[in-house]
Order: sequence, then C-alpha cells, then structure tokens
Amino acid sequence: MTLVPVTYKGGIYRHDEIIDLIEDLGGYIIQKHVIAQEVVLQALVPKEDIALISAIGKPLTGELTPSPLVGTEIAVVTMSLEIHHLPHASCDVAEYIRRFGAKTNMVGLARGFGKRIAQMNDEERDVINEHDLAVYLLGDFETCIRQKFPALRRGINVPIIVCGGPSREALQRIIDPPVDGYVGNVGRFMHRTKESEELAKLDEVVSEITRVLDRKRDEIAKDPPSVSPARLMDIIYDQVGEIHEVLSPTPITVQTTGLRVKLPYDTFARVLRDIPVEEGITIGEIANIIPSRMRDYILIRIRPFSETNVMV
Amino acid sequence: MEAVEYFEVECTEEAGGNYYRRIAEVVLLDHNLLRVIRKLHIFIDPGVPIFVAVGVTRKLPGIVRLRDFADVAVTEQKVTISIGDETYLAPLLQILWAQYGKENVSQPDRFTIVLPPGQADADLEDLPVFDPSESMYKDLIYALLVIQPEGFKVRRQWYGDGKFYLVASEDTLPEDIDDLVREKFAMMGEQL
Repeated sequence: MTLVPVTYKGGIYRHDEIIDLIEDLGGYIIQKHVIAQEVVLQALVPKEDIALISAIGKPLTGELTPSPLVGTEIAVVTMSLEIHHLPHASCDVAEYIRRFGAKTNMVGLARGFGKRIAQMNDEERDVINEHDLAVYLLGDFETCIRQKFPALRRGINVPIIVCGGPSREALQRIIDPPVDGYVGNVGRFMHRTKESEELAKLDEVVSEITRVLDRKRDEIAKDPPSVSPARLMDIIYDQVGEIHEVLSPTPITVQTTGLRVKLPYDTFARVLRDIPVEEGITIGEIANIIPSRMRDYILIRIRPFSETNVMV
Repeated sequence: MEAVEYFEVECTEEAGGNYYRRIAEVVLLDHNLLRVIRKLHIFIDPGVPIFVAVGVTRKLPGIVRLRDFADVAVTEQKVTISIGDETYLAPLLQILWAQYGKENVSQPDRFTIVLPPGQADADLEDLPVFDPSESMYKDLIYALLVIQPEGFKVRRQWYGDGKFYLVASEDTLPEDIDDLVREKFAMMGEQL
C-alpha cells in the first residue's frame, strides 16, 4: 500500500466521517485545522483510495488536492530576523511552502548577515540538521554569496536549496561544491509577493523542494525506516495521554524518517522508548530517541530496516 | 519615484543594482519620504564592500510654533491655551513642564492647558514647539539604514543644509571616503 500526501478542504459539517474513512482505509491524519466553518486536513492516504475519498467528500463540498510536502519538516534559513529580510522575503517563502503541506520552521541566524562576518553557531547548525531539508534565503549580490556561503553550509548534512538574487545559472556557477537545488531571482526584496510572476517564483521554490524531496524519498525507499513515521505518530497519540495537552499546532511533527515530539525530553524519553509498537517490539528498539536542540523537545529518528531487521 | 528629480542606483553588479533600485523605491515609499527627496544617488560595490547614499532634500517646512496650532488667552489670573491640533501636544507639554513645573501646568481637558500668569506670556505664542526637519532627517537616515545591505555596521552619516549622505561598510571605511562622497554629489550636479 503506497501512501500519498493530500490535503482535504471542506465544510466542518460531518467532517469526522472523512477522518474516520481515512483512518479505516489505513491512512493517517497529519494535521487538522478548523478555520471558522472550514476544515483543512493534511493526510497520508492510500493511493488507490483517493477516488473513493473524493467521492464521499463531494456531497460535503470537500475537495482533495495532492500536497507533495505533507509529512515533511523544512527549515527556512534566513540570514537574520531584521527588517532587511522580514517580513516579506522570508515569511512569504515560509508561508507559501506551508500551503503545500510542509511544516516550515524559520531559522533566523544570529550572525548570518554580511559577507566577511557571516557565521553560524553550533546550535543553528544542529537545529537545521534536525529538518528534512533547508531552504537558504540569501541576498542579491553574487560577490557576497560566493564568499559567505561556505561558512553557512559547514556541517549541514541535510539537502540544501539555495535561493538568491542572481540567476539560477549564476548561483550554480558560484556555489562550489554544488548543493541540491537552486532558485534564482528570489533574493532580498522589501515588498509583498502578490504579482503573478512573483508567485510563479514561489511556485518554482516549491517545485524545487518537491524535486529534491522526491529524490530523498527514493533514496529512503531503498532502505525504508522500520516503521512509517505517520504510524508511529498514531501510536504515540494513542499511548501518551499528555501529548493531547500540548498546545502547539502540531504536537507531533512528522518528518520523512522521524518525528519531533513536543514533550520535555527528561520526563518522556523513557516513556516513549518503552511504548510497544507491536507485540515484543518497543519504539526504543527501532528508533533513536534523542533530545532536540529546539527547546526541550524529543527527536525520534527511526532506524532503517537494514539496521534493525524489523519491519512493522 | 516620479516626484524625485534625480534617482540613480549605481552598482558593480547589474542584477544586484536593479534589485536595490526596487528596494530603495519601496522603502522610501513606505516611509513617506518620496516627497521630501529631490535627488538621490546610491552607489554599491559589494566587492569592497561599500554602500554610499547621497542626496538633496526639498525645501522643508519651517519650525512649528505655538500659534500655528493653538490659541492663547492671557488674563490677570491665568493663561489659557486652547489646542486646535493635537499632533504637537506632547512636545508642547514637555516644554511647558520644563518651564513652569509639572504642578503648575494643569490640563482640565484634552484641548485645554491652563498656566499661572508669568513674565514670558507675551511671547508665548511664538514658542517654538517642534522642528520637523530634525525628525525628517532622522527618518531619512533610518530609511537609508533599511535600504543598505545588512551587516554594514561601520557607517558614517551626515545631514544639514538641504543635503545628506550615508556611507557604510562591513570593514573600516577607506580614508578617501570624503572624495568618494564628493564625487557622487558631483554626479548629481551638486556640491557638498
């Protein structure tokens, strides 16, 4: 059964039937938003049942659209949180990616600005490495990007997509060794992106992210994680009562090969480790549970099949 | 930018210069500064790196005096100021408090201030309350700080006499920076 990421938008009336349907079919609800009279579900559903869900949702004015980024956590790295980059350049990109289902976190570097003085500290590096992918929003000048980028990528081991003012070709030319994706003509700007060509640029960012993540997913498929992250999320929701008291929009954030659980590490790491996934197998046996550098959250990295020899 | 007589962005990188032209337009528009600028020349060389902005302002409105926004009625017992426009009330109160003492300045309602009779009552109407050029230049310099590439922490700025400039860099400013500023003024047909 292949699960595909989708977004369901519909009225709030009888939407619980859709949730039940998705769960009965073996899918997972990643995130649920209720906005006034409307409900937005981000879910992973079985590929062959998309037509069925659409058909059942139709009388409820529900609409099912593919959302390639559901179930991923993306870091949008901005050079600073000063007025030079906020709100438009950074927030517009972060917000636009979110519409396609990704959970984006904005990482504002403390000293990312400047050409010679740009640097990144260990906390920033570790936080970025906790994500599935990092989108770097750089400035408008080739000279600066060429000189500062090596300092900003040091130690980053997740795929990087570089957005900057120079053209895509120029970015490819000045960045060495190459990164996973490039989007040109998205540098520093001070106005809101609302014209069609600017939105087209943001679409280009999304398609670049999708391309890079698809490649990463193909890599993962060769040696899949011992349990699907979405399934592990469901198990934690069932077994740990305290997670329902977390006020964050996504108490458990799903990544491509792991989860971020927004509970304090000291209290809950042991609890999570001992939760049975299936008879005789606990989470601790198939995943590494480590403290996150983001607040005191817990990071679960599911180990691949080749390491555990277990597939649940 | 039609209101500005001369506006140029000079940059060693063509694409970067075009982006900065748009940035400067947007920032000046957002800060409501287009109507006060007559000429503006921006020079950026990211290689050095250096950012220079030089410009000329339009004729600025004069100092706001008490008579411009309030009526003063002097009697033997008291002086009553009736405020017409609240915009300058805060700076006025600061001045009056310093001059008469807080306990002597009473404000029975939003638009009335009552003072004890004093010696300077006759000149009270001419009291300078607010100098718009001071805050305008500060706004202008602030807007240029927003326009300049971030991280240019070493900077020098100057304003007065209808002209202003700001130079900024990441490194120590070169010694011949004054010559560069003069050269940029000359390009606009002005002299520093």
